Amino acid sequence: MDRSSSPVVSASPSAVAAWVCDALAAVLFALALAQLLSLQISREIGGDGETGWGWGLLLIASALLRGGAQGAAALFGQRAAAVATAALRARVAPALMTSATARGRIVGEDAELAIAGIDRIEPYLARFLPLRRAAMLSPLLIALAAFFASWVSAAILLATLIPFGFGMALAGGAARKASDDQFGALARLCGLFVDRVRALPLILSFGAEERVARHIGAAASDLAERTLGVLRIAFLSSAILEFFSALAVALVAVYCGFALLGLLPFAPPERLDFVRAFFVLALAPEYYMGMRRLAAAYHDKQQGEAALAALAQEERKISERIENPPRKKVTTLALADLVVRHPGGVAIGSVDAAWPATGLHVMTGPSGAGKTSLLRALIGQVPIERGQIRLDTVEVDPCALAATCGWSGQRALLLPATLRANLLLSRWGVADADALDLLDAVGLGGLIADRGAGLDWSINDRGSGLSGGERRRIGLVRALLAPRPILLLDEPTADLDRAAAESIVALLVRTGRDRLIVAATHDPLLVAAADSRIALP
Amino acid sequence: MIEDMIRTARARQRRAVASGMIAAAVAALSAIGLLAVSGWFLTGAALAGLGGVAAVQAFNYLIPSAAIRGLAILRTLSRYGERLFSHRAMLFALADVRTRLFARLVAAPPAAALRFNRGEVAARLGSDVEALEEALLRTTLAPSGIATLIGALALAAFAGIIAVLALCAAAATSLLLARWIGARWLAPALDAERDATGQLIRQYVDLATGGDDILVYALDDDVRAALGDAQDGLHQARVAMVRADAALGTGHWLATGMVVAAIVLFSAAPAPLVALSSLAAAASMEIVGALVRLDLQRWKSRGARERLDVMFPVPSAPVPPPPVDLSAAIVIDGHRIARGDRFAVTGASGSGKTRLIETLAGLRNDAPQSIEIARVPVADLPLSDRRSLFALAAQDASMIAGTVADNLALARPGITRAAMAEALFSAGLDDVVATLPGGLDCWLGDDGARLSGGQRRRLSLARALLADRPFLLLDEPSEGLDLDTEALLVARLRGWLDATGTGLIIVSHRLAMLELADRRMALQSD
Repeated sequence: MDRSSSPVVSASPSAVAAWVCDALAAVLFALALAQLLSLQISREIGGDGETGWGWGLLLIASALLRGGAQGAAALFGQRAAAVATAALRARVAPALMTSATARGRIVGEDAELAIAGIDRIEPYLARFLPLRRAAMLSPLLIALAAFFASWVSAAILLATLIPFGFGMALAGGAARKASDDQFGALARLCGLFVDRVRALPLILSFGAEERVARHIGAAASDLAERTLGVLRIAFLSSAILEFFSALAVALVAVYCGFALLGLLPFAPPERLDFVRAFFVLALAPEYYMGMRRLAAAYHDKQQGEAALAALAQEERKISERIENPPRKKVTTLALADLVVRHPGGVAIGSVDAAWPATGLHVMTGPSGAGKTSLLRALIGQVPIERGQIRLDTVEVDPCALAATCGWSGQRALLLPATLRANLLLSRWGVADADALDLLDAVGLGGLIADRGAGLDWSINDRGSGLSGGERRRIGLVRALLAPRPILLLDEPTADLDRAAAESIVALLVRTGRDRLIVAATHDPLLVAAADSRIALP
Repeated sequence: MIEDMIRTARARQRRAVASGMIAAAVAALSAIGLLAVSGWFLTGAALAGLGGVAAVQAFNYLIPSAAIRGLAILRTLSRYGERLFSHRAMLFALADVRTRLFARLVAAPPAAALRFNRGEVAARLGSDVEALEEALLRTTLAPSGIATLIGALALAAFAGIIAVLALCAAAATSLLLARWIGARWLAPALDAERDATGQLIRQYVDLATGGDDILVYALDDDVRAALGDAQDGLHQARVAMVRADAALGTGHWLATGMVVAAIVLFSAAPAPLVALSSLAAAASMEIVGALVRLDLQRWKSRGARERLDVMFPVPSAPVPPPPVDLSAAIVIDGHRIARGDRFAVTGASGSGKTRLIETLAGLRNDAPQSIEIARVPVADLPLSDRRSLFALAAQDASMIAGTVADNLALARPGITRAAMAEALFSAGLDDVVATLPGGLDCWLGDDGARLSGGQRRRLSLARALLADRPFLLLDEPSEGLDLDTEALLVARLRGWLDATGTGLIIVSHRLAMLELADRRMALQSD
């Protein structure tokens, strides 16, 4: 897996440019308004003077420009964010899906992270990041424009930034920690809903609805309490902002007013006329506008960064997948003193085994002995605690074995695609007829015939209503079709009646003549047909 | 309807809602007032300054400058209050709604409740309920927004009737535009977005359960492609939403420019009042903008509300069924099973054994056999009657994410730990639980992931034993067990049945288990 291709987490330059455009339009708006009012004042004093249609037009045009610029900023930001989140999902989804057990996570939690979590990054990329850049640029731009009209007012605006910065630094850090807590709580709540809905038949059959609903209620209230904690702090930082933004307006208004009256308690440092004074007053609310918008998007930042951190945390737990070239032939596969262990679980093993290049070999053992875990350890899905896996007498990393094995587990993956694509025929260049023969041999022939489309039968994203057993047998056929020298099968005959099981055992015996099959099973029928047997304690 | 639920939930937060409304109105009015008074003060000062010393001395600057300072502080405090109160009301109302919706889901007829995809339910309870957030905020902010608008109109009136009319027209244009754009552009985009998100989650959950296959067959690109389609739809929908927003924003700003221009160009009032009025208009259009954005959210939450209404219908008041003598024997295709009887059902894979068991338990009604209790067809008996008869240990042996004890406690209220230990013994799982870290308090993970298939089936059996019902319904209880463990299970289960006199209906392929029953029936494959 290539991790250097991390998506660009930076502001879209065109979105930033659009926000700067908005600030420029605000300057024009203030200028036009000041000019228009100044014309009216001179009319009131002198009784003549033009109406200022030109300035009126500029006023309307600059307002229109603001609307357009803000819309463009949102659109550019959204486009850039979509590209980044698509890349992120493409990177993490397969990696998360193939490592849930190793990370000790439930699927509901992973789904919340990969779908809703990454969705929460989108506003962060689309809105917050461009706004953050703009929030640094636009106050400077506004202060610069104010400087040409009244340098004292510009200085007042700039001076309010210092206490404002202190306040934000204090409130921001606490908000960050609270946000992380909340993010975890939301993931757990979502996981809880998924879990209880899955267990609904269970809950219904025991009449446990009320008890479970109460538990859900407590979890939901807990989430509300946590969120309020986050917001209380986030709102505190926006109150600081609100205060300084109001203060900037008030100070500029009072200074300019007294300067115009000639009542300043000190020698006037500059000469102010009405246009200049009103221009800076109209600009003053714009000075903090960028930061107010940023504060309104603060929630996006919290959510986005928490989601990115949660994602990074899971990604760190994923061990590197080694893409070894698949082997066409093996001569032996051996386990030497192999012990495997689930995260937080009990140790399984030690197991010794030496399998030749062909034959049907079984692993048996009482339930809970860890047959499935051992099989999954061979493809690197369960961590190895000690011991070795040897391929052709050389120690190999189990991840490297995955590409050399065909696999049929307890629940086969079905892609929303045709049956042919699900059996991976085109990838392996297998003829349709061979696949149909195998489907017949595992007892799925009738089912396929019923659907009437043969291998073109399109399986929908809900597995087309296939039962667990049917699904499992499709997985078995896929494993058998795979041109791979080793087949790892988990309970290939479970939940089947005797006739179906016998047919599959015969098929496996035939396949074992030129390939190595390792199956975990309880089925005495399969055990009796096996060339060798390893019994787990 | 979900509307009623929201209303009830909000009514519970009445105080926070009212405080939020008041604070919002004060915040908006002080923001407008601050700018308006400043403009008036500045223009008045300029005129006085031009008028000479006498005019300056006549100009009262104390009141406006004090008002400016006061409004600045008021604006800060009231804004904080507004945010805190409105969010408090909203968050607790949503927690309330989530809980009630879940209760409604489990109260629905089982056939309906079990049809839903779990990823979708999670999306509904998660993001759709989150969308109601905006609806709740809107109901808090809309009244205060209207109060603010009236205040702003009063300020604008200083510049004459033209200013009032212009501001009214601009605000109305902006609101109407929002309605139109919302219905025309935003609503379809939002529907597309929700569908795509639900689809994406469903797809993820489904693919992720086949993680081993993805790894072994290097299906990464197929997984990306399967997710990619739903994701493209999602992104297109989002761009369409942003476009609608942008169109509205542009229209809103145009209206703002026109109202300010109209006031300064056409008002006949003295300059200070024109300044006051034009700045008040500009500031109040900002408030209108916020209201308009909130109004757009109605579309967002409308889709969510419709989906919630569909998924969580109001439970119809149950018609109390005629009381049935539940102690009467169960008759399945002529086989009479009385209390205490032990009965087995056999048949090939696919012959409908599980369907029969689940029909008895009340989870479905489609078993082809004739099943009657006291001559009443079992399909006519409500779930509550059926589950008071049967304790089910289902074939999938599902578990909730929780501890061993959490799972056992589902059986009925008030189960002691001693009773749990006894049931685990009877199910032959006592040794296993003893070795788990924490024993009964061991966390089992998602669907009992820490346990093997056979262990889960026995834990599920122990849970059924604890339910204390007249009949046990067991579906393949020993599948996945080795012969020794199976023999132990049979012996202990027989002891438990003898001691309690509980009836048994069992489905199994395995001879040892079938020996628990006195009689059996064989189902024919169809």
